[in-house]
Amino acid sequence: MGKIPPSFKGSQFPKSTLLKTPQSLSQTPLLTEKPQHFLKKIPNKRPSKSPPTPHPPPPPPSLTFTTPLLSDAKSLFNSLITTTTTNKHTIPSDPRFFNSILQSYSAISSPHDSISLLNHMIKTHPPFCPNQSTFHIILSQSCKLHDPTLSSVHQALNLMASHGFPPDKIAADIAVRSLCSADRAEHAIELIKELSLKNCSPDTYTYNFLTKYLCKNRTVSAVNGFIKDMREFCNIKPDLVTYTIMIDNVCNGKNLREATRLLGVLAEEGFKPDCYVYNTIMKGHCMLSQGGEVLSVFKKMQEDGVEPDMVTYNTLIYGLSKAGRVKQAKSFLNVMAEMGHFPDAVTYTSLMNGMCREGNSVGAMTLLEEMEAKGCSPNSCTYNTLLHGLSKGRLLEKAIELFGVMKAGGMELETGSYGTFLRALCKKGKVAEAYEVFDYAVESKSLTEVAAYTNLETTLKWLQKAREQGLVV
Amino acid sequence: MLPQRMKKAITENPKKLANLIDLVNLPSTLREFVGQSQTSRLGCFMRVWSYIKENNLQDPNNKNVVNCDEKLKTVLLGKPQIELAELPVLVKLHFSKVSK
Repeated sequence: MGKIPPSFKGSQFPKSTLLKTPQSLSQTPLLTEKPQHFLKKIPNKRPSKSPPTPHPPPPPPSLTFTTPLLSDAKSLFNSLITTTTTNKHTIPSDPRFFNSILQSYSAISSPHDSISLLNHMIKTHPPFCPNQSTFHIILSQSCKLHDPTLSSVHQALNLMASHGFPPDKIAADIAVRSLCSADRAEHAIELIKELSLKNCSPDTYTYNFLTKYLCKNRTVSAVNGFIKDMREFCNIKPDLVTYTIMIDNVCNGKNLREATRLLGVLAEEGFKPDCYVYNTIMKGHCMLSQGGEVLSVFKKMQEDGVEPDMVTYNTLIYGLSKAGRVKQAKSFLNVMAEMGHFPDAVTYTSLMNGMCREGNSVGAMTLLEEMEAKGCSPNSCTYNTLLHGLSKGRLLEKAIELFGVMKAGGMELETGSYGTFLRALCKKGKVAEAYEVFDYAVESKSLTEVAAYTNLETTLKWLQKAREQGLVV
Repeated sequence: MLPQRMKKAITENPKKLANLIDLVNLPSTLREFVGQSQTSRLGCFMRVWSYIKENNLQDPNNKNVVNCDEKLKTVLLGKPQIELAELPVLVKLHFSKVSK
């Protein structure tokens, strides 16, 4: 949780998401500023004596802690200090070196012991002067503790304050993220409220992170309650990103009423929707099986002068295809190329999906050739869509051929295409082949054994019945 | 249509699933074949199917038909030849509700 993979950046999204097109696009702004952890380069605010530069100091001996025992850790640290001084090694005065020691110890110990070790380190090795990141280690560790109260977090914050680091936005952010990673969102909210009483309200990144976490893991009413609380207690108002996260969330839950309400609030507050909001709205229409609506959203977007991006076009094409307006969808291929967004595997797969829905699996196969000719390589989702379409379209020979390609490429089968393919095979009396497909599904771990078998069993049962009634030979 | 409906059936009907994966004490005939005293219906099916594959018991002229050897006959009602399509049903016969 919390870490946003770089692949979330606007235009590209993970391969397998054809059927739920754009992932939460709203997160991009978060990438720009993230609380840095200690290993990343943080400029030292305190002047540290720079190590003698003539020859680079020998690589710092690293410490690995094997037991959470405090006494062992202390003696390990002592021996590090004594051996390096007798060997005339230089101990880096960079606090990062000590931070890494503390970090590795904190991974296996309790916050209390970590604090003791920190004190010990300061006492036995005075050149080490802890910086903000040092305390962030302790803070994050104390947040991850499964504690019914916030006392250990308070302890860590007090420790920081006593060393001249009063709680700030960075500390708040780290605390909130760590608390959420330990599934303590309620504590995180409590902490934010407390901190804002002390004149340290969270920044928008923390706020949006928490909103997103609540959206994913709590109910809609909990999210709304949080937004209300933040408005009242901390005087923080939701921004465009917050609304995007919330709209996305309610659309995923197919909660049309709430989505409309949010859009109303958005307009009331005077926000001008950006590309991400529009993409989310379009995606919402797709989720609610109103694929046809995407076009009107797209038009509105153009009227507002918002520049559509790759995700917009992919969602548009996906929605139109889903609504059975493939021709219209296809016409956008050229439009997007003109705008400099070249159709990718997702675009083509959406189109193929639409064609197969129309029963035009031959056309979908032609599109596959066209796509490959343009240098765009299909992914497993593309193949699954085609397999499904061909099986449904009674083009079994082609489906078998396609399955061969998938098998050779080690691609996974999806439940839907697996089931349809099995049925098509059995219908034509190719039971042995159906067993092979079953074996492949289990081997490639596409489906669990149970799911694959249940499907096979049901299909064979249906076959027996159909044979009795003389429907299938 | 069917796959979705079936997927629903699996998730909404835990009893059916239990019936498939719960370990069951085996009757002596099966015990000999499987080599274990307990197995699930799914495990038993997988065992029989892999036995067929290992011993190349599928008819070379018609892959949909299995020519049973002596050992396989013991678990499949003594039939000399079965169709692959009826395999799940035949395996299920050993796992009637009574044995639960």
